[in-house]
Amino acid sequence: MKVTVKAFAILREHMDRVTTVTLASGANVRDLLDLLTARHAGLAGELFTAPGVLKEYVNILKNGRNIHFIAGMDTKLEDGDVIALFPPAGGG
Amino acid sequence: MLTDGAKEQYRRQLALIGEAGQERLLRASVLVAGAGGLGTAIALQCAFAGIGRIRIVDGDVIERTNLNRQILYREGDIGRYKADAAALRLEGIHPDLRVEAVHTGITEKNVDAFVQGCDIVLDGMDNYPARYLLDAAARAARVPFVHGAVHGFYGQVSTFIAGITPCLRCLVPYPPPDGAVPILGVTAGAIGCIQATEAIKYLVGTGSLLTSRVLLWDGLGGDAVVEAVEGNPGCPVCGGTAGAGR
Repeated sequence: MKVTVKAFAILREHMDRVTTVTLASGANVRDLLDLLTARHAGLAGELFTAPGVLKEYVNILKNGRNIHFIAGMDTKLEDGDVIALFPPAGGG
Repeated sequence: MLTDGAKEQYRRQLALIGEAGQERLLRASVLVAGAGGLGTAIALQCAFAGIGRIRIVDGDVIERTNLNRQILYREGDIGRYKADAAALRLEGIHPDLRVEAVHTGITEKNVDAFVQGCDIVLDGMDNYPARYLLDAAARAARVPFVHGAVHGFYGQVSTFIAGITPCLRCLVPYPPPDGAVPILGVTAGAIGCIQATEAIKYLVGTGSLLTSRVLLWDGLGGDAVVEAVEGNPGCPVCGGTAGAGR
């Protein structure tokens, strides 16, 4: 299956702003992030506090809905999903 | 009824918002919460647009490191309260302008009093605990909360309205770490101007607000993208209200 990944803010310094990724059927968000971090050096440091442990404040939106409100890293992906990776800004 | 002086001062924008719209701005009260990079840009644009009353709240004093982006301050202001210096600098932009300077930090105890009497709340804060307080207080007072935040070349804006949109906690359930972030004045200026645009549109009653949407600004890449904001169905603040603002 194919999913579209949109990167925002500082993540754009490590990967393309929009990319299409091919994943095995039944893959989840964890599988997607494993693939992306293997492909893009520096991305893991922006996403994870330790290998496989997502920084809590990094928003991952599946078709607009935050995976925190679905099943976190175990959120299942489907063909055609649009995943937005959005670490919020905090300064003023 | 606009005075002849006001008609002349606002001639270039009356074609956009009409005399009735200009009168609404002159009668309006806005809360600018925070007088840093965002807050100074917001307050300046609100004043120049002709908004009548600006309450600006910030407990900090001006430091030299503020002077790359906090556009209302000068070297001679170092050590003064930001709210006081901002009020002084805004004075005289238009003859009906009244600025209330409050040099106090925003807390759970005082936030409702600061929101009271304001038509809209503008986020110029640098931390999420204060932003969550402002969002909740604005929801309780049934006035919009225009969130903005910046980091480096990047920023975001979204407008939250009770009963219409999800809340700030739906957009940012877990805040990024506190602390000084890298920031350019142009980013704070761009985001602050978009926030002030939201206020003007809301007060005049024109255009489309960034409700149930977030504008993600990328000054480095030279683009801006608007993404939908879905509510958290289990949100303790708003219950995931969504959709009606779109």
